[in-house]
Amino acid sequence: MTTYIARRLLLMIPTLLGITVMVFAISRIAPGDPVSLAMGPGGQLDAERAADVREARMRLYGLDKPVYIQYAIWLGRIARLDFGDSIKHHRPVIELIKERLPITLTLNLLAFVIVYAVSLPLGVLAAVQHKRFFDRASSVVLFMLWSLPVMWVGQMLIGYFCGPTFKQWFPPAGLSSNYADTLPFFPWLADRLWHLVLPVLCLTYTGFAYLTKQVRAGMLDSLRADYVRTARAKGLSNAVVIFRHAFRNSVIPVITIMATLLPAMLGGSVIIERIFSVPGMGLLAFEAVTTRDYNVVMAVATMGGVLNLVGLLLGDIAYAIVDPRISFESAV
Amino acid sequence: MDRRAKGKSEWGVSYGEMVAREFVKSRLNVACLVFIVFLFAVAVFAPFLANDKPFVIHIEGKLHFPISKALQANDYCVFLAAVVGLIQLLLIRRNRRRIDPSLRGAVLWRQISVSSLVILAGVILIFIFVPRRLDATDYRAMIASGKATGAIFAPIPYGYARTDLKVREQPPSAEHWLGTDDVGSDVLCRLIHGSRISLSVGFVAVGISSVIGIFIGAILGYFGGKVDFVGMRAVEIMMAIPTFFLIITIVAFFPRSLLNIMVIIGITSWTGDARFIRAEFFKLRKQDFVQAAVSLGLPLRSILFRHMLPNGIAPVLVNATFGIAGAIFIEAALSFLGFGVAPPTPSWGQMLSLGVSTTGRFLWWLTFFPGLAIFFTVMAYNLVGEGLRDAIDPRLRKAA
Repeated sequence: MTTYIARRLLLMIPTLLGITVMVFAISRIAPGDPVSLAMGPGGQLDAERAADVREARMRLYGLDKPVYIQYAIWLGRIARLDFGDSIKHHRPVIELIKERLPITLTLNLLAFVIVYAVSLPLGVLAAVQHKRFFDRASSVVLFMLWSLPVMWVGQMLIGYFCGPTFKQWFPPAGLSSNYADTLPFFPWLADRLWHLVLPVLCLTYTGFAYLTKQVRAGMLDSLRADYVRTARAKGLSNAVVIFRHAFRNSVIPVITIMATLLPAMLGGSVIIERIFSVPGMGLLAFEAVTTRDYNVVMAVATMGGVLNLVGLLLGDIAYAIVDPRISFESAV
Repeated sequence: MDRRAKGKSEWGVSYGEMVAREFVKSRLNVACLVFIVFLFAVAVFAPFLANDKPFVIHIEGKLHFPISKALQANDYCVFLAAVVGLIQLLLIRRNRRRIDPSLRGAVLWRQISVSSLVILAGVILIFIFVPRRLDATDYRAMIASGKATGAIFAPIPYGYARTDLKVREQPPSAEHWLGTDDVGSDVLCRLIHGSRISLSVGFVAVGISSVIGIFIGAILGYFGGKVDFVGMRAVEIMMAIPTFFLIITIVAFFPRSLLNIMVIIGITSWTGDARFIRAEFFKLRKQDFVQAAVSLGLPLRSILFRHMLPNGIAPVLVNATFGIAGAIFIEAALSFLGFGVAPPTPSWGQMLSLGVSTTGRFLWWLTFFPGLAIFFTVMAYNLVGEGLRDAIDPRLRKAA
């Protein structure tokens, strides 16, 4: 197992390099640069002065060197986890990420727990009721939920529940009210949760469909298996057959999904965070892209890539742990 | 095989026909297909359904046809594509009667390549010869002032770029069935014209990603070994980069255009196809008919794409249908975030973002209807994908 993991980690290195090259290349091939974007046409400076300022800024950010040297410098820095400074915020990128990450994590952990809490029983029930009313009805509803565009749901929720036009039940933006800092802990928590209801709702509903489908399929497979028939033939009660025999074997795909969800949990959702003005990783990424904050863009993309790779690896390892029949030696 | 089902056809039943028969057994599948065809019809005939230029008008006793002047080069391109597509469908029907199933694939491929060439040539010719025109005449004012009479308008007599601040932000009414937006454009009209963006993005983006995916997957699967090892690393890189973030990065960094969006969605979403085709080709490579093709000394192109591909294309077809739904969704999300096609060209995602105005008022009709359109379109494609998968999956066919 150790050799397997070591080999996988080694294989990750070229992939990782490839990711950084691609991210770097895209940010440099694109027309326009952050300095001209920040300076605009030069304002009130005369042309010569503007050119000087421009050059000084380019030198400050290291944009005057050839691209491959810029890449090498950048790579050397991220190896030491130094993502450089944000051009827009004039602060280290890592600080920004430290600020935003807990917010996205709270949001996604909540959504994650809710999705699993709803989908596991729903999927099991649908499989047990295979082809009967509950199964059909739940699959239709979940299929519709799956196709609902999230920006539509978000906009409708905000417009209907958070505005002066209809109901003003929920706050339209942000994570806490202005006065939240003055509140004691429990009212503060209530305020925070009140702000989280709608974004979490938007984050969960697509997950229901996906996960329930996986659970249902896994359960159906194991319910058809021979050992389940044996268990029934032994005269075990229905509940024992379903939960002790069938369910345990059908969680394998569910566990691997959990591992691959990791990057999404940390990366955040650009659309949802933007709709609800939640200052998490997704919004950070969005702002960085629109302002061409190269260091932030590259940090976010690299982090996303690394997390995806780690997620894949964790998924495979988890798969092998829960299913001892899978050998590490044959799989690369 | 069910021999009665063969019906009138004197030939055997091809694989495609088997799948098609299985597919149409479900009424839901057929309904979704009809809906998609309807959407395409709306998109193709958009200028005739919603246009502020009348079909016919009498001006000072003379008959004018303003709508013919209002048609732009891209309208002609759409008509051309629709006509060629229809001819293609008719040819497929004809092939079913006249050509042996074993040859139909090859004939179909030839016809499709000829059609694509015709469309390509036609588009180039259209853009060379159709002038860019702008008919700024206000025919309604002419009618109101009595200068013109006997006008016949399209069912929705508004243009998608027409702004009219007198009627801005109006809820649905008899004049404006789905209301008007913040500059007084008719929402239904913009919805109809916006369908062109969504449908074409879905089609073209998935076309690009399928071609890339099939090509790479075929090479990796056929050669295996070192080629496969190196290639899979490249595929892994593409898979690891957060796709949506990559897309918004590229879209934000490069100039805004529909073509850019299509290409970017296409070149970032081929990994699924590549892996499916690779897995299929791994299995096929050892089979006798491939060995036979190799030993006959056929060129690689012929082995890969004429002999192997038709046997391994099923999962790609299913994936493509879901891919279209995904691409439509991504385009809507991009437009929603403000990275879509530049206004005044309407796009559903951009339209629905206008619903919550800056003052906090909720103009529900601006969000509700475009969102509904995206929802139905995405769901129809997803359902067709599901139906297609069930029709193709032989395991399920046996069980049913």
